[in-house]
Amino acid sequence: MTRFDDARHDDALIAMLIDGARPAREVARWLRTDAGRRRLAGYRLALGGLRQLYGDVRPRPLVYWCSLPSPIGRVLVAASDTGLVRVGFRRSEASFVDELRRTLGAEPVRSPARTAEIVHQLRAYFAGERLAFDLKIDFRHVSPFLRRVLSAAASVPPGQVVSYGEIARRIGQPTGSRAVGQALGRNPMPIVLPCHRVIAAGGKIGGYGGGLRMKRALLRIEGARLAAG
Amino acid sequence: MRGAPTSSQELAERHRHEILRYLLRLLGDPEEAQDACQQTFLHAHRALGRLRPDSNVRAWLFRIATNTARSMARGRARRSGRLVEAELDGFPSRCAPSLEDREQLRAVARAVEALPSRQRAALMLRQFEGFGYREIASCLGGNEAAARANVYQALKKLRAVLEDSP
Repeated sequence: MTRFDDARHDDALIAMLIDGARPAREVARWLRTDAGRRRLAGYRLALGGLRQLYGDVRPRPLVYWCSLPSPIGRVLVAASDTGLVRVGFRRSEASFVDELRRTLGAEPVRSPARTAEIVHQLRAYFAGERLAFDLKIDFRHVSPFLRRVLSAAASVPPGQVVSYGEIARRIGQPTGSRAVGQALGRNPMPIVLPCHRVIAAGGKIGGYGGGLRMKRALLRIEGARLAAG
Repeated sequence: MRGAPTSSQELAERHRHEILRYLLRLLGDPEEAQDACQQTFLHAHRALGRLRPDSNVRAWLFRIATNTARSMARGRARRSGRLVEAELDGFPSRCAPSLEDREQLRAVARAVEALPSRQRAALMLRQFEGFGYREIASCLGGNEAAARANVYQALKKLRAVLEDSP
């Protein structure tokens, strides 16, 4: 049998495979022959390959962001479908968005709707109407160590401060106060995860990624008292 | 069917993922697909006011995406899709096919890359988006018979390369 002959039922085979059409009696009979079986297997293989190659394409996930004005300047927030992933300030929207794209491997989309609850709680915080946050946090991009440090910092109530050494003790690494300080400097969600409540020994302010003035401003909002320094 | 989107932002949030996936299938290149997706929603944003309330929004968006991808594909020199290479690289871990299968898969990938953009779009819409031939025709222009012919032609080519491959 020639190739030409094999091709005569192609439309019927394709209709059967992708349109769910019932083959005519003649086609059904031909499908019981070796040539028919081979031809059908060829189409099945082609469709299988197509599915393997293009069925499971995964675009980058989306990350939703938004900015809000605040007494400490513009605050930028970003959330995945799971929860909050970033809080930023003292930077441009463009650099914030660029960092989201690079560090999260996600496609940033401005979405006041998807960040509404975060923005609402932050506004209330800056207005002095709320001191604690109740938000879902997406920790997937946070290292286990930093996560422990941030969780320990989050357990410090608003209006209070603790030292780097105290956080180190709380996570079971009493000699790790320097590592704690460095980790807090990498807090991807400042303000909401309150690394600003962790200060140096002796009541001194310590360091802050957003600048010491910012750290003092946040502590003032929360009513914490500090030693001079 | 959900209600009509009230804003282009809502439109983007609702459909961006599937449009991007479709554009990846059409263009094979993640960055190009991202660009095409942005252009698609920019165009949709401008045209949203003219969309009739009873329109099929999804089909309308796919039409814009198809046109965007096709004009992009026309504008660039033909080159092998990075998506296809990446997928092949990740392939053995999934079900460890024999080398022969890998070669056949490569042959299919090359054949898809070589399809005319209209046939490729018709095939992807039929196979992965659940579009009927009337919807495909509304995306690509032409009638239902032409839409069906595009899908069938594409599949015949994919099968033919398997017969020719070792």
